[in-house]
Amino acid sequence: MEKLLTNYFETASMILFGVGFVTLLLHNNLIKKIIGMNIMDTAVFLFFIAKGSIQGREAPIVTGVHKGIAGYINPIPTALMLTGIVVAVSVTAFALALTVKLYEKYGTIELDKIMEMRGD
Amino acid sequence: MVYENNFPLLIILILFISAFTMPLIKKNALVKLVSLLTMGVSFLLGIATFLFVKENGSFFYKVGHFDAPWGIEFQIGTVESIMAILFTGVATLILWYALYSIEKEIKPNKVGFYYLLINILVGSLLGMVFSNDLFNCFVFIEVTTLASCGIIVVKDKKENIAAAIKYLILSCLGSGLVLMGIAFLYDITGNLNMTYIHKELMKGYESYQNTLHIAAGLFTVGIGIKSAMFPMHIWLPDAHSSAPASSSAILSALVLKSPVLLLIKILYRVFGDEMIYEFSILNLILILGTMGMIMGSVFALRQKEIKRVIAYSSVAQMGYIFFGIGLGNKLGLIMAIFHIIGHAVTKSLLFLTAGRMIEKTGNKKLSELKGVGKEMPYTLGLFTIGALSMVGIPILPGFISKWYLSLASIDATKYMYIAAILLSSLLNAAYYFPIVVNGYFGEENIKDKLYKSNEKDVKALMPIALLMIGMIVVGAISHKIIDVIALGLV
Repeated sequence: MEKLLTNYFETASMILFGVGFVTLLLHNNLIKKIIGMNIMDTAVFLFFIAKGSIQGREAPIVTGVHKGIAGYINPIPTALMLTGIVVAVSVTAFALALTVKLYEKYGTIELDKIMEMRGD
Repeated sequence: MVYENNFPLLIILILFISAFTMPLIKKNALVKLVSLLTMGVSFLLGIATFLFVKENGSFFYKVGHFDAPWGIEFQIGTVESIMAILFTGVATLILWYALYSIEKEIKPNKVGFYYLLINILVGSLLGMVFSNDLFNCFVFIEVTTLASCGIIVVKDKKENIAAAIKYLILSCLGSGLVLMGIAFLYDITGNLNMTYIHKELMKGYESYQNTLHIAAGLFTVGIGIKSAMFPMHIWLPDAHSSAPASSSAILSALVLKSPVLLLIKILYRVFGDEMIYEFSILNLILILGTMGMIMGSVFALRQKEIKRVIAYSSVAQMGYIFFGIGLGNKLGLIMAIFHIIGHAVTKSLLFLTAGRMIEKTGNKKLSELKGVGKEMPYTLGLFTIGALSMVGIPILPGFISKWYLSLASIDATKYMYIAAILLSSLLNAAYYFPIVVNGYFGEENIKDKLYKSNEKDVKALMPIALLMIGMIVVGAISHKIIDVIALGLV
């Protein structure tokens, strides 16, 4: 329990990941599924960035004086997550576009109703 | 000055850059020519890379001239260069087939976008195979996801969109899990380069046992979703059976394969032999692979449409590949890679012939395709040879991988699993042979059908025939291929 409280960023990201995962798997509404997908991605971003940040250090941008290696955090996790966010945005956009198409064809975005209509 | 070690990067760049010129070209014939030409050039470059690697051994290539722990790196060995030849070669033949058929399946103004997606797809698959950097692999996985959903949805029918959205959501789940696994590994080691992660892990992995177990599990499940490991295969039949014939061939032959190679790289290059044999993750892969082998065939028996039968057969064949990885000895791993090659050639042949039957007769139900052998004898003949390979008739690649997988399971003292291989082969025969038998024989089926009445353009059969020849060659020189793969795994 104490471990969970000290690493509260990681705990929060795990809970968020679980929430996203369950939303993604259990809901029939496609928009809710996409929201779940985004929550899951965000949880991973939080986890990664929490791993990269250290209390009391700055982002690796030199303003005025260079404080030496001990003054700054590792920029790689942040940079990686920037790429991750771009990927997540494009996947979300694509999924939403497909949802619009699906609504045009079937008139609903509930997956169980679509399955009924297809008869399987 | 050596030029050959630039070729792997050049293949990816040619495919990616040429892709974006295609929607700008107005004439569809020109688009097809550009696509076929770039894929053919990539094929030749792949062969040159293979010859270079065979001569000089595997090498690391610095992309962007930064040294390894900071810059991105490619590792190209014999296995990677064989995969380059396989992927670009099979894609070239499929594109050749698509020359004659694609406009019948999608709208003419979408052809440029279709070829854009195919080139990006093959480029990103090769990127995943070559890359030695975990995060780079993740980005390539996402590009693959988007492109492969694109080539399913391009047909613009109801069932395509539903299938693509199912595929997209499950794939995103998979890549989210992979990203989480990468986060755990980066957290422990502070590196993204596979070689350096392995070095760091060897210094003291005992203290991180649980975390590494979780990371290995996340990678296995995440990549298992992408490559249709048994309980996570539910997206595959819909997606593969509703897509256009050339898309299904590419999806089944290539897209499932490169995540498996990534899994092999993660298990054996990142975690390494010593660590992975202590984990129980290989047993999980073995059990899921065995279940996939049997259940995939059982599901295929109950299908009524020809393309769904072949799609479920893919689940069973991916089961063999996971079985080989899960055995946990060297022969099993070699045969997993050999089965990737054999299955890629055979499954693309089956999908293309099935696509041709559907296109010419207009029926996709098995019950309505009875007697197709009289109307299209050559097409069904090619289908028969592919089916024989899947069942496991000697000389053909399917037999060789089954034979050596049995030997590998004797090596690993897991005798029970030979029964699973035998059972799966029998089930394969049970769903492939009725198609062939009902096509050629059965007096009442072929009564009022005209001989060769649907076999109009025989030139479209050329690429399929070349695939068949390639398949037989893979089977005939299998001992050489196995030796070369073994060389690359040392």
